[in-house]
Formats: sequence, C-alpha cells, structure tokens
Amino acid sequence: MAAGRLSLSSIRALATRGAGPDGRRFWIPVFLLPFLLLYGGFTVWPLLATAYYSLFNWDGISQLSDFVGLTNYQKILGDPIFWLAFKNTLVFAVVETAIKLPLALFVAILLTRRWLLFKTFFRTVFFLPIILPVALAGLVFTYLLNPSNGAIDSFLADRGWIHTPIDLLGHGNTALIAIILVAVWQIFGQYMVYWMAALQNVPEDVYEAADIDGANELQKLIHITLPLIRPVALIITLLAIVNALHVFGVVVTLTAGGPGQASYTVSYFIYNEAFSEAPFRYGYGSAAALLFAVLAFMFVTGQAAIARGAERLRRDYSV
Amino acid sequence: MRSWNRPLGAAVLMILTAACSGGGQPSASSSAAPVTLTIQDFSVEQTDFHKQVVAEYQRVYPNVTIQWQSTAQAQYEQTLPLAFQSKQAPDLFYWQKQGSNTMNWLLSNSWISTVSPDGKVPSDWTKRWPAGSFQNGINMKDGNVYGFPWQDTHYWGPGYMYMNKGVFAQAGLDPSNPPTTWSQLADTCANIKSKTKAYCLAVPLKGTDWQRIWYAMAAGNMTDLFFDYKNGKFSLDNPAMLQTFNYLQGLYNKGYFAPGVQDKSFSRQQFAAGQAAIYMDGPWMISVWDQLGFHSDSYGVAAHPNPDGGAKGALSSLNSQNAYWVSSQTQHAAEAWKFIQWMTNPTGFFAQNFLSHQFATLAFADDKKLLTDPAWQQIFKIADKAGFRVQYPDPLLKCPALAQSKAYTDASALHPNWEHQVMVDAITSNKDLKPAAQLVVSTRQQTLEAELQKESAAGLKVSASCYEFGTNGWDYTQNFNIANYSKP
Repeated sequence: MAAGRLSLSSIRALATRGAGPDGRRFWIPVFLLPFLLLYGGFTVWPLLATAYYSLFNWDGISQLSDFVGLTNYQKILGDPIFWLAFKNTLVFAVVETAIKLPLALFVAILLTRRWLLFKTFFRTVFFLPIILPVALAGLVFTYLLNPSNGAIDSFLADRGWIHTPIDLLGHGNTALIAIILVAVWQIFGQYMVYWMAALQNVPEDVYEAADIDGANELQKLIHITLPLIRPVALIITLLAIVNALHVFGVVVTLTAGGPGQASYTVSYFIYNEAFSEAPFRYGYGSAAALLFAVLAFMFVTGQAAIARGAERLRRDYSV
Repeated sequence: MRSWNRPLGAAVLMILTAACSGGGQPSASSSAAPVTLTIQDFSVEQTDFHKQVVAEYQRVYPNVTIQWQSTAQAQYEQTLPLAFQSKQAPDLFYWQKQGSNTMNWLLSNSWISTVSPDGKVPSDWTKRWPAGSFQNGINMKDGNVYGFPWQDTHYWGPGYMYMNKGVFAQAGLDPSNPPTTWSQLADTCANIKSKTKAYCLAVPLKGTDWQRIWYAMAAGNMTDLFFDYKNGKFSLDNPAMLQTFNYLQGLYNKGYFAPGVQDKSFSRQQFAAGQAAIYMDGPWMISVWDQLGFHSDSYGVAAHPNPDGGAKGALSSLNSQNAYWVSSQTQHAAEAWKFIQWMTNPTGFFAQNFLSHQFATLAFADDKKLLTDPAWQQIFKIADKAGFRVQYPDPLLKCPALAQSKAYTDASALHPNWEHQVMVDAITSNKDLKPAAQLVVSTRQQTLEAELQKESAAGLKVSASCYEFGTNGWDYTQNFNIANYSKP
C-alpha cells in the first residue's frame, strides 16, 4: 500500500466504526434517509399542517390569524351535508368492493384455466381500463350515459328494449349506482391481477391430488382454491375498501356530486369546501379532511390486525 | 485589412440598429430601458387576441415586452395566491371574486397598488367612463384610484333568451314574436314538444350551470340574487323565489327540459344543433355560438319571460366589474400605468379589436358603435328597455366599515353553490324545495347575523341594517340612486 493512502478495508473500518459488528447500524439510517425526507415532506408535514389549519377560519390567502379552535369540527359534526357525503362514501366503498372483488376473482380464475384460449388478449382487454385516467373514464361515460343522445340509450332504444330514455345520472338514487359501476369497470383489472397472483400461490400438487380423488372444477374451487387464498383475500379486500374510500375523480367528472348533492362523497365535499369557489375555506376543509383521515386510519389499523392474522394463516397453509 | 474591420463593423451595427427600431413609426420609448410586463387572467378564449395586443403594443413601445398568460379559471384562482405568496406576482392581474368589495379584499391582502404610481389620474382618463364609475370604497380609497370598471354592467349579464329559428319554424312559431310571459313560454314549449322532435329548453343542471335559466326567470319575479337587499336577508325561501322554482319544476315535469344532467357546453351544443329550441344565458353566447358555427341569422334573442301579472323584479347591475389591478409587487408601476391608459383608449387598438371579437362589452368604449352583429344590436335594445336590469344598492356604500367585515363573505362561503345544489336536487327528484331552502337560508342568515354582532361588539360600525334598503325607499324594479345612500 502506498504511503498516505488508505486501503478499502481501512475505509470500511472508519465508516462503520461504532456501527456494530457488521456496520449495518450505520448504513440503515443512511439508506432510509431519502425515503424519510420524502415521507416527512409529503405525508407527515401536510398532515400536521392540515391539523393546524383546521383550527382557523382561513381562506388560504389572507393572514392565518382567525383562530377558532375546535369550532370547525363542531360545525362539521353538525353538518348534514358532511354526513350525507360520509354515508355515500361508505355505500360506495362497500358496494363497489362487493362487486369488483368477486368479479375480478371470477375473471382471474377463468384466465388461469388451461383450457382458455387467447389468455393474453383477454388479460390485456380486462386490464386496459386501468390505464385510462379515472377522470377521463368519467368523462367518457358522461357521454355514453347521456339520455339525450348517448350511445347506450340509443342502442337500447333502437332495439326496442326501452321506450323512454334512462337518465341514470339525473336521479339521486341512480347517480351513485352509476358512479359505482363506472368505478368497477375502471379498476377491476387491477384486482384481477392481484387475484391472479394469489391463485398462482396455490400449489399445483393439491389440485393434482384432487383430480386423483375425482373432484370437479366447482369442488376444487370451493374446497381448495377459496380456502387457500383466504389469507391473501383478506388483505386484498381491506386494500380495496381503503382505496374505495378515496373516490374522487369519477365523481367530479361524472356527476360533480349531483344531481344536487346526491352523489357527494367525502373527498368531493372537502374539495368543494376548500377549493371550488374563492374565497376558499381551507380551515373547514382541513377539519373535514382530518376527520376523514382518522376514519381511514382506523380502517388501516384494523387491516394491520387482520393482516397479522392473515399472515399467520398464510404461514400455516404454506402459501 | 484589420484596420477596416472596426469602422465597418460599427457602421453595420448602426445600420442594423436603425432598421430594427420600428417600421417608420415613431417609437415612444426606443431609448428607454427594456421592461417586461406580465399580465395574468383566465380569459383563455382570448389568447390569440392577446397575442395581437402584445404585438401591437410592442410595435408602439419596443422597449416593453409583454407576457400575457391566461389559464383556466379554477387553476388561476388557486395559483395566483401562490404567486403572491412566493413574491412572483404578475404586474397586472384580473380578479373580481369579492364583487364590489374586491378592492378592499385585495388591499387587506396587500395585493394591489394604485393604477398610477402616485395614485392620481387625469380627468380625461376617468371621463372615458360614465359619471359615477369611480367611487370611494369600490375602486378608490382616500382619493387614490386602485381600479377601473372593465366590463359594463348594463348589457353584460344573464337574462337573455335565445331561440333556435329552425326549431321554431318547425313548430310554426315566429321567434320575432317570442313568449313574453310564463304562460306563453309554457304554451310555446307545448307546441314545440308536440310538433317537433326537439326539446323545448336546453337547461344545464350540472354543478352551478342551472344558474343560466334560474337568474333569468327569478329576476322577473323578484331578484336574480340569493340575497334580498330590500329586507336584508338571504332569500331562497322567499315565496316569490319558491314560486319561480315551482314554475320551472312544472316545465321539467312536463318534459319540456332536454333530459339529462348536462353541463353548459353540452346544452349549448344541443341548442346550436337544433335539438332544443330555447337556451337562456348572457350576451357572451354570441361569441360562443360563432365558435360553434351557429351565427345570428340562425337564432333570435329576446328578454326572459316575466310572470303573467308583469315583472315584479329585475336583473341586478352591481359594482362588480373592477377587474384588472396593478400588483403591489410590480417593479414597473409607470409602465403598467402606461399600458392601462393604452388599453382603455375607447377608440384604440385594444377596444376596437376586443369588441370586434365580441368577447364582451367594455365599460369605457362605445359598445353600440363597435359591436355590430345583429344579435348584439338586439341585446342593446332589450337591455335599454326600462326595468330589464337595474342598479342595485351596495351595502358597502351605505356602511363603509363593511370593507373590513367578513360576515357576508363567511355566510355566503358556507357550502359554495348550496342554493343551486338544493334546487337541482329538488327538480330532479320532484321534491318540495321549501324545506331545503329554509335550511340554506337559516344557516346563512344565522352566520351573517352572528358575525355582524361579533364585529360590531369589536368596534366595527356594521349591523344587519347595512344590508336593508327597503327603508331607503328602494324596490326590486327600481334603480338605486347614489343620493339614496344618505337617506336614513
């Protein structure tokens, strides 16, 4: 070694001095730092700022000086529109999940059958809607569902299946259903992929054993496939519900929360209060956002508890 | 050879400089330092026109480079505050969100400075506008001018009924003899429904677009605003407003509205395509129809129909059109003022070309002379009839302390567009509007009164009476005179 130069081992020794026998304790925070900076800047800081703004009556432009304490929260808890939005969001999350997951599972099972031809084609077709921006999907369906001259009503009327136009988006009862169906169409390809990954973890030898015992497809589905994917299914289900709680883009473009407020969701309520008309109501919108975040957090912590149970099941089943 | 280069180069440079200094026109500031002026607004449809304005201004003032940036309205209203917060505000900008209180709101946020560097303006500049256009508390403060009226408020606004001539002809109707009462409108719709395949009314119901028919019809029965300035109360639950709503709900239930919850763009296209006979909106539709290839020989314009017993109200004209402001962060106050003077020349390049594009009317120009489209001439005739649009009272002029009040803003900002939402909900569900209207009114009114009391207790000279003008002798069908502000 030349005089004045350090060897690689010396450098490593200096860098990991005091970092434990294998130096990992030093490098762990170093590699975590970029993520922590981004997480802190784009998740933790906005959350803290939202909590702070929620204590003020603030339009987002003027000085942050009108401190109102918990008044915004009191108003929201007594706001019938917030609770309408909350109810709609829950209905959307539960119904949308109840439709998209079984549908996606059914398609995933079909796509993993050996006898199915053109698997790649079908996989692509079912996955394509997820590539569309959700707002664009809403816009497209605005035109398709238009009762004046939309393609769907025109198709049904031409065949004599309907005699008066169906205005799905024009009635409070059906507007939310329309949003659910469009959202299912747009997103179910993603869950189809999740189910396919889950199905691939089921060992083939279990199916072979079932074949030897003379089980048919339905029996294999009920007694082998569904029980073995149950641990992963719990996680997929909870992910689906949490994602559905944040519905926004399709509401904005398809119904704008209407007719009236019939299809308001919590995200749209927050957007409308905080951003839709100047002067904005950042304080009020922040309080609504924080309340909603608490609710979503409760779901996530519930998911963590169930996921831990699911993880135990997964290890027990070795899938 | 080298000894020739320097004088030759200097000569070439001089020739080039002379050639580039302007095509023979006197350049007012060719020797002035170069300046870049930024202007921001949300008039995206005027982008090509802005380029012409920039080219012309830079031809006359070559040392000035103008960057005129227009973005979509929603995005503009969110990004402009950020620009001010980050000290990157434009030199001139468009803002009128707070109506007649816009100047005070902008001053409280330190966004604006006076239009001229010293705040004083020559009288020949203010004479470009009608008398009374510059008022303390509206666009002046302590004798200094901060703003100027942009669009006129007499012709410009909702309340016009457009009729598709083709559909009317199919129904055997004459658009030059339009329905003038609610009954006649209902009869016209019955005719159109029975004799044509078109719908009678193209009415957008998405978001706030319902306002296009609402403002027109409600004005004839009381007011087009959601606040009753006669009695100082929010007004959606007023019997006259409910009566107007019930009439429109009746038309909807009879199938006279084109079906679907459409946005305004769709409804306008339906009308232009002959799928609907009538569309109600403002005079901006003339340029919109032109862009759709639907010109004034294909449609007629008339005033909105009134209740059968005659008009009991009128459309409102407010002090709300002070729109372009000089930013407090500008480094070029003198140049900004020069641009404003050039822009507001009643017979100058800007006014002539702005009006030839039919974007809007201008408060400082001779609109009747420069807007020559037959549809515009019809608009002028309609609006000039007494009682179509009246000057409304302004609480700010009755109680100047309202410039510091947030009570009305807070009351109105609760659930933006709530009135439109409950009306669309009621009309599409065939529900009684009254319960929802009462909830809206009581919530807003309680907020207004509670905050006024709080502000009054803190020493601000404001009260609920600042918003009542019935005691000043005013009614919905009358112009409110400035002299009436001094009456108790």
